[in-house]
Amino acid sequence: MEAILSTLSVDRSVLAAEYIGFLRWAAPVLTAMLLLRCIVPLLTFRREPEIWAWLNLATGEQVPITHWENVIGRSKSCDVTIDFPTVSRNHAVLTRYDDGSWTITDVGSKEGTLVNGRKIQICALTSKERISIGGVEMQLQPITQRQEERQAQLRTKAASGWDTVTNLMLLTILQCAMLVGFLMKSQQTDLMSIVQGFGGIILCQWLLYIFYCIIHRKSFEVETMAFFLCTVGMAALFTVKPEETVKQLLAMILGVVIFLIIGWSLRDLERTKVVRYLAVMAGVGFLVVTLLFGTEYYGAKNWLIIGGMSLQPSELSKVCFVFAGASTMDRIMNKRNLILFIVYSVLICGLLALMNDFGTALIFFCAFLVIAYLRSGSVGTVALAITALVFAGVLALKIAPHALQRFATWRHIWEDPLVSGYQQTRALMCIASGGLLGLGPEGGLLQYVFAADSDIVFATISEEWGLLLAVMTVLCIVALGVFPIRTARVARSSFYSIGACTAASVLVIQTILNCLGTLDILPFTGVTFPFVSNGGTSMIGAWGLLAFVKAADTRQNASFAVRLKKEKKERSVSR
Amino acid sequence: MNRVTKRTWLMSVFILVLVLGMLIFLVQYLFQADQWVAFSGSPHVYNSSNLGCGTVVDRSGTMLLNLTESRTYSDDALTRQSTLHWLGDRLGYISASAVSHYAGQMAGFDLFNGIYDASGEGGQEVLTISAKVQNTALEALAGRKGTVAVYNYKTGEILCAVTSPTYDPDNVPDIEGDTTGAYDGVYLNRFLQSAYVPGSIFKLVTTAAALESVPDILDQTFQCYGKVEYGTEAVTCETAHGRQNLKQALANSCNCAFAQIAELVGKQNMVKYVSQFQVVVPLSFDGVTTVKGNYDISDTAPVSFAWSCIGQHSDLVNPARYMTFVGAIAGGGSGAEPYIMAQVTNGGEVTYQAKTQSTGQLMSPETAATLHEYMRNNVKSVYGDGNFPGLSVCAKSGTSQLGGEAVSNAMFAGFVENEEYPLAFIVVVENGGYGSHTCVPVISKVLAACKEVLDAA
Repeated sequence: MEAILSTLSVDRSVLAAEYIGFLRWAAPVLTAMLLLRCIVPLLTFRREPEIWAWLNLATGEQVPITHWENVIGRSKSCDVTIDFPTVSRNHAVLTRYDDGSWTITDVGSKEGTLVNGRKIQICALTSKERISIGGVEMQLQPITQRQEERQAQLRTKAASGWDTVTNLMLLTILQCAMLVGFLMKSQQTDLMSIVQGFGGIILCQWLLYIFYCIIHRKSFEVETMAFFLCTVGMAALFTVKPEETVKQLLAMILGVVIFLIIGWSLRDLERTKVVRYLAVMAGVGFLVVTLLFGTEYYGAKNWLIIGGMSLQPSELSKVCFVFAGASTMDRIMNKRNLILFIVYSVLICGLLALMNDFGTALIFFCAFLVIAYLRSGSVGTVALAITALVFAGVLALKIAPHALQRFATWRHIWEDPLVSGYQQTRALMCIASGGLLGLGPEGGLLQYVFAADSDIVFATISEEWGLLLAVMTVLCIVALGVFPIRTARVARSSFYSIGACTAASVLVIQTILNCLGTLDILPFTGVTFPFVSNGGTSMIGAWGLLAFVKAADTRQNASFAVRLKKEKKERSVSR
Repeated sequence: MNRVTKRTWLMSVFILVLVLGMLIFLVQYLFQADQWVAFSGSPHVYNSSNLGCGTVVDRSGTMLLNLTESRTYSDDALTRQSTLHWLGDRLGYISASAVSHYAGQMAGFDLFNGIYDASGEGGQEVLTISAKVQNTALEALAGRKGTVAVYNYKTGEILCAVTSPTYDPDNVPDIEGDTTGAYDGVYLNRFLQSAYVPGSIFKLVTTAAALESVPDILDQTFQCYGKVEYGTEAVTCETAHGRQNLKQALANSCNCAFAQIAELVGKQNMVKYVSQFQVVVPLSFDGVTTVKGNYDISDTAPVSFAWSCIGQHSDLVNPARYMTFVGAIAGGGSGAEPYIMAQVTNGGEVTYQAKTQSTGQLMSPETAATLHEYMRNNVKSVYGDGNFPGLSVCAKSGTSQLGGEAVSNAMFAGFVENEEYPLAFIVVVENGGYGSHTCVPVISKVLAACKEVLDAA
């Protein structure tokens, strides 16, 4: 018996080596399969134009209305172009609501908008109402209930249930394979923490999926990718700081809860408008609290220490900023709304200048650019451009001198590999050492370098799991970035489009700064890799942003943005 | 909505930046990853500032250094001392550039697998040196400072390159606190990093230059009265050698004759041939580069020029480079460039295999043949064939005066002409006194050891 035991114990290291040899192939192959199955449907689904109503002009012409929010005006970029001298460039906005009702809103036109001969600001519409825009007469004819049902049926279905289960099974197999690798290889005594870390993610993803099944939502691609990124982050974290895996897991669970809450609030735009005010207040609040009670690290005051937990509230402010920036079409045209957003941006800009955090400021600046560009109608363009200039100017004057030090090292890391270029040169050495397939769990040495679990986490993953897998994590973010562009054409409200684009931009920009900074392609800014880097607030913020991306998904049964037909019947049509 | 929809293209700018950035990185990875892995301080390859993975063995497979766990040197104290300067120490005072140069191959790096080693065997570097010969040479130096080196002038393998003083890395002496001067320059690999006043071994260069540039040199004779005067200064010999031809002048190492030969060759030709023979340019192999020598006769008086042709004045040569020059004479005007790394393997797979590189034709085969004959004559008539049993050695000794009270450096350079032992060598014993007197016993033992090693293989 003892002999058998002793042979077993000898075999353990041999077995571990054999297993790692298998795992370094298996992990990238499984990942590639998983991501292919997740990304392809996101990027290739058919975008059928939907027709929600017809606009019958007095001339007998019938114009199809293909969105829920439509700008009518003389300008070529309008959804309904009426080339008539008395029609303003952007004259009115035609809006459809979740319950099928319609309104028309005048957006500061010269001649005004008349319904049944009365000048109105906003007015509910039925097919009987006579609309007059700059003297051009027309009538709205919404599609019938039956047409609408037919259209809903024809809409591309999100992945079938079995596809999603297969994806989740693949992810679970990958997670288990990685976990076994750690268990076989690890010399560390607290193996419990890795079991808890990976087990927690597996449990969380299946529970979320079961919850989706209960509410009849089938699409799970975006979430699967996020869980995959969390898994990779957990693997890196266990190598570097095994004692923090449970903390990171809890942050992820909290992130999923926030994801669901934001998703729920985005489902009904009227509800969103209320939540939005709260979010806008919170966005400023987080920054103010950080400024008042925050701790300064490396010249940037963006840490808040509460009861031994270190928080980075600016990560949550990003989510709030997306809320503040996204807007429905009728409001984009509204001057007051525009001024409020500009004031809000200036306020945020001022707070960031006081905090002195270059990375965060850059992300906010890019998010502002995206929002500003997407929103800018003819009126707002100039005002937004000026705000952008102020934003950039403050960044340049206040923060750039700090950042210049990092720029001095940029592309010169090999000239000072022991001091200013230390982290990045070690990162590149270890990426190269890992090759395309990696050295296996616990096989790396980058873990001893500062911020191996956050700022240079890309290199830690690359070293242990291979460059292929590391590049695939970046591709995940790329897919999340391309998705909102594709869905924009069929988006129903500009709120979803702007929200999804801004949120995805923040995710992409963070990835750019984190990964390309580590690799010395761009200056090193110490921004987190969404879902992957160690950091609780960053994790929660990433899930919050993901809710906006998810909300842009209009496929049948896919997401929060589209209410299911069954529920619709229960609602009265009385707006 | 149309407007918002169209403007979402802005997103693609960010995505493009990310994708392009990653592509640029992947291209960099393709072309630079091997340098990153082997860059000094790379965690998987280095251990502090010296190589930190795999094993290093000598030509017979004797373990010199094991880096798989920590830095473990040979079991034998003498071997540890004689090979230290090629392997590097634990604290990084002695950098082992040749061994580190193949770090990437040692780690078994390739673009696909990185340094992942499925076999678990690790890397191995096989050096061309023989621990046995190294030990013999170090013992023969008997604590005197200097260097002894032997290489195969046909293949380029360095069989022996020992430097003294050295120390046992497993039993480090108090070098900082030493006041006797016994450890002066102990971190130097003298074979590579020192340049010495060559003294009379430089007469080989002058002789070769004369053979190449003075048509009737073989018909001429030179009278030695013990002194050639240049105004108030003079070139002197210890005794008057009388009338000699070139061959006799070299055998007698007659300064007065060489002062006259120098005049026949002329400054311009000396500069030309020193450059053509590559005697003072640095030598590079296996990632190490030797110090450069010196031959500077610009603005010199005739007496200084005469001394420069005798290997004094401001002449300096590096032992590794001069040994290569002697190798070229042995090889009929062209020899092999020396190297120390024979082979690097990783996981049983050969990742580097040394190749012989020629010095190129440094001098005409006729000149080389004549010099060869003269150097053989030196041993037969002066140094004594009996010192080298079983070997037919050709050589030239030198006693380089250092000025002031310092005892002269003893120098000895030459080669073995036997087909089966194509070895060129150089010996430097600092403050060793007369060249042949000090060096012959040393090289006699070392060549005997080399012969044994070659016979065994």
